[in-house]
Amino acid sequence: MRTTSRLFAALLGLAAAAPARAAVVEASSNTMVIAGQQLRGALAGETPGLDTIAPIYEILSVRARDLSNPLRLEGLEVVFSGWASYDLGDVRWSSGTPDRFTGDVTTGYLRGSFYRRRVTVRVGREYVVAGNGRMLQIDGGDLALRLPAGFSVTAFTGLPVSQRFGTRAGVRTWNPAGGDRAWGGRVGWSLAPGGFPGRGLDVGASLLAVTDDGTTARKDLGFDARFQVWRPWTLTANATYSLAAERWAELRADVLWNATPKLFVNLGAKRTAPDLFLSQTSILSVFADANRTDWTAGLRYQASHSTSVGVDYAVLVEPSGEGSKTELGHQAAGRVEWERGRTRLGGELSYLKVGGLGTEENGYVGARVFGRHDYTRVFLSADLATYFLKQEVNGEKTSVSGTLAAGTPLGRGWSAVLAGHAGVTPLLSQQFDLMAKLVYNQTYRTAEVK
Amino acid sequence: MDRHLLAAVALAAACLSACTTKDARPAAEAAKVDPAFVFTHAPHLENDVDCLACHASVVSSTALSPTVRHAAFPAKNVDACNGCHDDKDFKAKVKLAVPARAREFSVRMNHAAHLTQKGVTCKSCHLKAPEPGDQEPPKLEMAACTACHKHQADYAAGACLPCHVDLKRYEKPVATFRHAGDFLKTHGSLAKPSAASCAACHDQTFCAECHSATTVAGKPSLIFPEEVQRDTIHRGDFISRHQIEAGGDPASCLRCHGPKFCDSCHTQQNLTGRTTLSAPRDPHPAGWANNPTGGDFHGFAARKNIVACAACHDNGADSTCVGCHQAGVANPKNPHPSGWKKKSSDIVKNPMCGACHR
Repeated sequence: MRTTSRLFAALLGLAAAAPARAAVVEASSNTMVIAGQQLRGALAGETPGLDTIAPIYEILSVRARDLSNPLRLEGLEVVFSGWASYDLGDVRWSSGTPDRFTGDVTTGYLRGSFYRRRVTVRVGREYVVAGNGRMLQIDGGDLALRLPAGFSVTAFTGLPVSQRFGTRAGVRTWNPAGGDRAWGGRVGWSLAPGGFPGRGLDVGASLLAVTDDGTTARKDLGFDARFQVWRPWTLTANATYSLAAERWAELRADVLWNATPKLFVNLGAKRTAPDLFLSQTSILSVFADANRTDWTAGLRYQASHSTSVGVDYAVLVEPSGEGSKTELGHQAAGRVEWERGRTRLGGELSYLKVGGLGTEENGYVGARVFGRHDYTRVFLSADLATYFLKQEVNGEKTSVSGTLAAGTPLGRGWSAVLAGHAGVTPLLSQQFDLMAKLVYNQTYRTAEVK
Repeated sequence: MDRHLLAAVALAAACLSACTTKDARPAAEAAKVDPAFVFTHAPHLENDVDCLACHASVVSSTALSPTVRHAAFPAKNVDACNGCHDDKDFKAKVKLAVPARAREFSVRMNHAAHLTQKGVTCKSCHLKAPEPGDQEPPKLEMAACTACHKHQADYAAGACLPCHVDLKRYEKPVATFRHAGDFLKTHGSLAKPSAASCAACHDQTFCAECHSATTVAGKPSLIFPEEVQRDTIHRGDFISRHQIEAGGDPASCLRCHGPKFCDSCHTQQNLTGRTTLSAPRDPHPAGWANNPTGGDFHGFAARKNIVACAACHDNGADSTCVGCHQAGVANPKNPHPSGWKKKSSDIVKNPMCGACHR
């Protein structure tokens, strides 16, 4: 019931926003029904049950920009995206609540600037993007100041968001930084000497703290940098230091090289301490202090006007669990994409070898093919993926799943899509579902924006 | 809590109700804000009068400002004036008022940097000048910029902000917009130091499609199955291989998902606390619980990947670990890693320590 009333409040807020007109309004709506069967786990010796699910969704996104307002905020915008759903059949396992009727606000904020955009304020449900924010989702606000000489300051505070307006603190939240208060900010400096756009240096130091009932859940210092002196080369680096554990949680550096307009190469190194990504209020956060190091390389090449290829490889240096010994894992992926006219085809290969829960190695080899063709009035798409697992999952080592979709534009921003998905997979056994979707995408302009 | 939320919504509604369309004002009202131009440029341009005769201060202007218009009669009649204006005190007769501009500029412009370039004059960009009655100056063609600036390359690199103030006001050719290389992989490192650049085009609903694991309706490939070319997160049967991916990069999961996100599903699938060991859905190998000499002992696995344990066992004082590891029980095993010590005062104050150290 709490979920319902809060969802109602969110929808009320949206309705209230409707009378406010703006120079540009972008609206997007996806109304869809998915019907299928979901497996439910069984106790040992029992046969897993099959639930028939049929949720109907309304996913809505509205962005209104350049609102005039009595406060003379520049570029005032209102951004909202959210969804509601009702389970016509059994309640699906991914709902996040046992209620049939549920929903959530994904993003919802007001943002505007003062003093020639030197001061920007945002209030509502938002993400902490800059610095070491790790896209922390909060209900709160942030203030960004653009200062002389390339300096900038941002500060934020709020409540870490939890699913379906549920508890923000405690053990039930899905938010990785679960707590009842978050605050922090970033001080940055940019140097743009000119020569070509993007040339220069961005450096910053940030702080992010989350507390749960007065106890520190996370308190991290962050450092970040982007360095581009020569047009083809960009260096990025960032680091996060846990003040609570007095250890580095993450160190990362990447070199991005746009060797030619058609060739792009990236090299990187990353070191993480996964236990420091757990909340410091977790009892498990004091059971390990091992580090992992990944060395990565990637390449993208536009072989011709219609064909592009990409390959990635990573060496994963993992702790073995015994003292300081390490094990090596490997990850590789390749992708080819071909596009001509209204036809697009692609293929992917993937490989992963890592340590398993015990002494046995784990991993998989995967392949995927996909394609789409847009006819004059109809489009068709197909997607088929298969994976061969190294260790059995539920007694199975192979996964095959595919999706076929067809759609047609209906005019005035409306379109309809019908999709079918089927698969034989280890965890969900045989599965299938059908989806029908009505899509609306439209941009309204009440005036020409100069 | 509900009342607080409703009050906040009501407040937001009240604020929004006071908002109106910025550019849909009646013409007369708009005219009050931005007066029409009054100066006749055409004869001056036809007679090749140097623009800098009146706009001299623009040479040192490094940024556009609505309050600084860089327009003033020359301090004394110069030759360019005397050719036509033989009345030496004509300046006293002509009142030139240059009001501040109300509309925001949509681009950034460093006139000083441009006018010192060889061959660059005012007319290189300003092909027309405003005439009396014009509400707005003639729109500058972007070709004037791209004649020198390699816009296509900047466009591909997403380097828009050096020139554009805010790109959200433009029609975005999203279908053709490409960031260089494997941008999906590198965008995080680029966004940390330059999030403002991302925000020039993308509002946070765009980021939320993949990053909002806590509140989103479903993964993108579920909602948009027809967009097969998109390299979306967790596409296809990710669920069957998620534990393998998590083994490769445990920290990556915890950037978006709290352990309870994992546990909510594991509980429904009877993977948590209800499974007897060796059952088909039991993820633990044999010898897991109490064979410390075997390689599959849970202690080694916990040191190796504690995040995997948290996906089911992160239950505070009720965690499975407490029963055997709490101080005071017979023959307790120290679960802390070798050399672990309470360095930070924050950890010492943590009540969860009391689950074992009573």
